[in-house]
Amino acid sequence: MAQDVINVSNLTKFYGEFQALDNVSFQVEKGWVYGYLGPNGAGKTTTIRTMLGLLKPNHGKVQINGVDSTKNPIDAFQSLGYAPELPTLQTFFTAEQLLDFTAKMFGVGSQTRQQRVKQLLSLVGLEDWGNKKIGKYSKGMVQRLSVALALVNDPVVLIMDEPTIGMDPEATAHFRNLFVELSKKGKTIFVSSHLLDEVQRVCTHVGMINKGKMVFSGPIEEVLETFTQRWVIEAEVDIATSDIVSALKNLGFVEDVTVEGNKLMVQLKEKKDFRGEVSSEIFKQKRTLLSLNLHKVTLEDAYLSALKGVHEK
Amino acid sequence: MNTLQRVLVIVGYEWKRALAKKKILALVILAIVIQVLPFIAFTQISPGFLTEEAKATMWIFGALGGQSLFIQLVAMIIAGGSMSEEYEHGTADILLSKPIRRLEYLAGKFVGGFLLLIAVETLMVATGVLMGFAFFGPQSQLQFAPLILGAIAYSSLLFFSLTFMFSEVVRRGMIAILVAIGVFIVSQILSGVLLVLYSLSQASGQPVSFYLDLSKVLPTWSAGSLPTFIASQLMPTLQNPLITLATGDTALSAALIAVYMVASIALAVTRLLKSDITKKAD
Repeated sequence: MAQDVINVSNLTKFYGEFQALDNVSFQVEKGWVYGYLGPNGAGKTTTIRTMLGLLKPNHGKVQINGVDSTKNPIDAFQSLGYAPELPTLQTFFTAEQLLDFTAKMFGVGSQTRQQRVKQLLSLVGLEDWGNKKIGKYSKGMVQRLSVALALVNDPVVLIMDEPTIGMDPEATAHFRNLFVELSKKGKTIFVSSHLLDEVQRVCTHVGMINKGKMVFSGPIEEVLETFTQRWVIEAEVDIATSDIVSALKNLGFVEDVTVEGNKLMVQLKEKKDFRGEVSSEIFKQKRTLLSLNLHKVTLEDAYLSALKGVHEK
Repeated sequence: MNTLQRVLVIVGYEWKRALAKKKILALVILAIVIQVLPFIAFTQISPGFLTEEAKATMWIFGALGGQSLFIQLVAMIIAGGSMSEEYEHGTADILLSKPIRRLEYLAGKFVGGFLLLIAVETLMVATGVLMGFAFFGPQSQLQFAPLILGAIAYSSLLFFSLTFMFSEVVRRGMIAILVAIGVFIVSQILSGVLLVLYSLSQASGQPVSFYLDLSKVLPTWSAGSLPTFIASQLMPTLQNPLITLATGDTALSAALIAVYMVASIALAVTRLLKSDITKKAD
């Protein structure tokens, strides 16, 4: 049986009258990269802060590696790394000092600490900045350091709240690869983000929350399957005549065809690439094909569809 | 790591945090200036009115001089930012998401801040002793200096704990310090009023001891009096026109300090354990 590294069950949190979390439940197994998605104010950060014992839930339970984090934070957090969203680190420390202090909090020995600090600074590209006060760092550098701090105890599970926010595209790509590498090494990663493209590239599973309620939790393929509409072929032709539209509609794999200017939007019944068949049909109708694109579903489509479903309910 | 080690890590952190801030450095400089200036003034204005015995005990003037006001203010400034600044800067989240219990974190913060206060107090007493030597020659009764320092440190626990509690309860450093200063001023004023009322009742021939008893319950009485009570017990025959060592109930003042401290810590612990960790202030 697979091991739950994170187990959140029936988490409910009120801020006064406002219900921030409504019976939120999900499980994250070892080795998963779990993307936690939701619009602003959906409850993502509240979920994370409750998981970390910073907020006291009104109801429900959080287990990290099988340990209740509210009852036993020592055991629960010993193998956990956390990188908060836009962290405000202790500006009076240098990166080396802060990494050393954080490692000390995990009980890492003096010699190991020195090595670990050097390795981590190099890993996040701050090796030349290690002895400079954090107060002098840019937002992106603080974010990099925050990821290094989350890795200081060589954690089994990493919780990251918008980890690449404020980073330049190069650094974002670097950290995307880093997360994939860490996942390959067996680490479990829980990442809250609204960069859906990043999530789709990196995550194996996703959870979606909206207005404090879980909308979905499961493998990324499943969310794409559950919440997305059909694939669409966009064919740009010289003139979009009614003859072509009828001919395309008669094809067995076509659900519907709509016209937008000189573009034919061909909705497919199946999630397969029928561009060859569509272009043949256009040639048969003696029209000139200017461009042909297949629009597959993206996580963004699924996400928007999932949220729309909730709003409609 | 055991509990003690985790607490010590936070103690070390608290020291680094405090030393990195310029306000602590400013306090240290101010402490030295406050000690040095009166000595210079005495030597310049009236060097003749002090007997040889009085000159040899001038270090006591230095040690106790800043105790009733300056030390209390330093205690409030150090304690006021201890817990609250972590919330204000958003670093409480980072610290408390590590393998540490909230109680251990609070203990480390309290002990770290108090040790820092003791360091400032030691510096003040040491400066007093040095000034005594420098301006008035060899000093006597120095064997009592550690005990007096201990009494100063213990008495400063009252306003330190009180402000520490405000720091955790309101989670805003400046407000915590202002509330503590407010308590100090109100306590001083009330104490004065109660003593006047007692004197009036005495003058009318029917002394009302309730006024006197009530004034002793106020925080400034025990915090301000304990070191002089102890000094008067240690040096009952001290002859120095610049030093008035009041006598009083040492045990009662020590007990009241303990009561204020325990109550303040209990409130701070309750607040920390029972509530959410506040996010960074916008």
